Amino acid sequence: MGNELNDLIKAAYSDFKRNKVRTALTSLGIMIGVLSVVMLIALGLGLKNYIREQFENLGTNLLVVLAGSGFSGGGAQSFGPGLVSGIRFDEKDVTKLKRISEIDYVVPVFFKSSVASYNGKKETGFIFGTTEEIFSLLNLKAQSGSLLSKSDIQSASKDVVLGASIAGKLFEDPSAAESKIIRLENQRFRIIGIAQKKGDNEMDNAIFMSYKTTFGSLNPDKEFFTIYLGVSSKENIPIAKKKAEQALLERYDEDQFSVTEQAEILSTVNQIFSVINAVLVSIGSISLLVGGIGIMNIMYATVTERTKEVGIRRAIGATQKDILLQFLTESVLLSLFGGLMGLLLASIIVLIVRAFFPVAINLFSVLITIIVSSSIGIFFGVFPARRAAKLPPIEAIRYE
Amino acid sequence: MSSMIRLRNVCKNYQLGEEIVPAVCEVNLDIKEKEYIGILGSSGSGKSTLMYLIGLLETPSSGKIYLDGKDISKLSDSQLSDLRNHYIGFVFQSFNLINRYTVWENVLLPTKYVKGRLDFDPEKRAEELLKETGIYERRNFFPNKISGGQQQRAAIARALIMNPKIVLADEPTGNLDSKTGDEILNLLEKLNKDMGVTLVLVTHEPNVAERTRRKIFLKDGKVTQKYL
Repeated sequence: MGNELNDLIKAAYSDFKRNKVRTALTSLGIMIGVLSVVMLIALGLGLKNYIREQFENLGTNLLVVLAGSGFSGGGAQSFGPGLVSGIRFDEKDVTKLKRISEIDYVVPVFFKSSVASYNGKKETGFIFGTTEEIFSLLNLKAQSGSLLSKSDIQSASKDVVLGASIAGKLFEDPSAAESKIIRLENQRFRIIGIAQKKGDNEMDNAIFMSYKTTFGSLNPDKEFFTIYLGVSSKENIPIAKKKAEQALLERYDEDQFSVTEQAEILSTVNQIFSVINAVLVSIGSISLLVGGIGIMNIMYATVTERTKEVGIRRAIGATQKDILLQFLTESVLLSLFGGLMGLLLASIIVLIVRAFFPVAINLFSVLITIIVSSSIGIFFGVFPARRAAKLPPIEAIRYE
Repeated sequence: MSSMIRLRNVCKNYQLGEEIVPAVCEVNLDIKEKEYIGILGSSGSGKSTLMYLIGLLETPSSGKIYLDGKDISKLSDSQLSDLRNHYIGFVFQSFNLINRYTVWENVLLPTKYVKGRLDFDPEKRAEELLKETGIYERRNFFPNKISGGQQQRAAIARALIMNPKIVLADEPTGNLDSKTGDEILNLLEKLNKDMGVTLVLVTHEPNVAERTRRKIFLKDGKVTQKYL
């Protein structure tokens, strides 16, 4: 059997060598098809990984309290938190949530984009009016200087911690930024430290300060959009979620807020990406189909061209199955060759692009490539091969 | 001596448009071991069709063909292919070598279609046959780079590689000049005499027909007693 296959491959190879240009062009169709599919899978996968990493940065035992019905509710009106329901959270909610024993941290966040200036340089950043616990919640460490302390929060100090990116933009030497004064919304703030880079645009351009500090002109109504809850352990997440919901229901209606697990958000995002990915891959598959038709076309031409040869082979003892296998081997090899070239090219592109954009090739793409391109070879090769096998030997041998 | 091949009331019809054309009709024929038979007739007399029927490349429209007493109409495609592979060797007017293979590869080709194990060393046998037919030096040439006579010698070597009991030759000298044709006939006759291969020769040339030991005349698909 192994020997037989060896002979079949050798015969196909000798034919490819004789028709180099034709072989290359036929494989090109499959190559482009596989390239586009693998690239699209790589892109989808990369984006998915990127987003998952972003979420994992937030820490695992996290609940997010949002105004509005939140992520889990689905539907268009669930986005734009607070805008529909009109509610905002305040310090009373924070105090109430702190009483839940399964919750270790309650971190309210007031969020506002703003322009910070130092020495005439102006940069847009994001004000995070929050507590010192956000740093442990987000797993943020100081790159230089120190982070906000409990007393900073309580005293509503004018101390701020900058994200790594905005610090880099405002200061030529960020490590010397400590105790410099920046201007923000017509107030002066003292930098006490720079946070490590997180890879997240908002975090890296953040200006962290006490939520109490924002209660002046920045946040006159003393409101929060979002409250992060750090749950003591994974097992306690369902209980903590329930208790938090109950606590908030005392003041708000069911559809005015949401308490969402990180896992839920992640799975919603994953679902969206799976759909986008499926659509992209099916569009990419059209080029595979076209490539397959190209192979079928060439195989029909090859069968006609080799009609006499089929007759000769039948006369010296080839069965219909032998003839079928001979042509099928050729179409599968053509397709597989195209597929592997496409995979190779896709890998090279991924290696280059990876520096700028999150893309990834996994074993799944490799297996899919091999399986899909072989199947295309079989599917589109079997019709011409059957025609060859069914040729009446006498007519074939007399064919000129 | 018993009959290797028996044809009983064999007919073969072809469909030409609406019309059914009988190519071979009511043929009864017995071929014995080591015979040297000529199937003779003018062109269109059905002699090639008869040869392909004997060679199991065609199946009869009616009648029976027996090979060593076995009714071949009951055999499957793979059994028929196996018989063509082991039992029968073909030599054609237009040589019918595969041009993208060398002489050596062409001669070995039938051994690739053997299901199961070969009971001989194919390369050694190919070497012997190519020496016997006198074209061993040309073994690495492609068919279109050698003369017609040499191609026919290669085709004879290919026909013999599986040690067949019968060689069917369809106008083997038709594309050759008379001197080369004679050499090819000498070679075929030598195989018949020395190796005991049954030889069936299809021809319309009287001088070739002269040489066969038993003559079967065909006219309009039927066996007749008289030549032409």
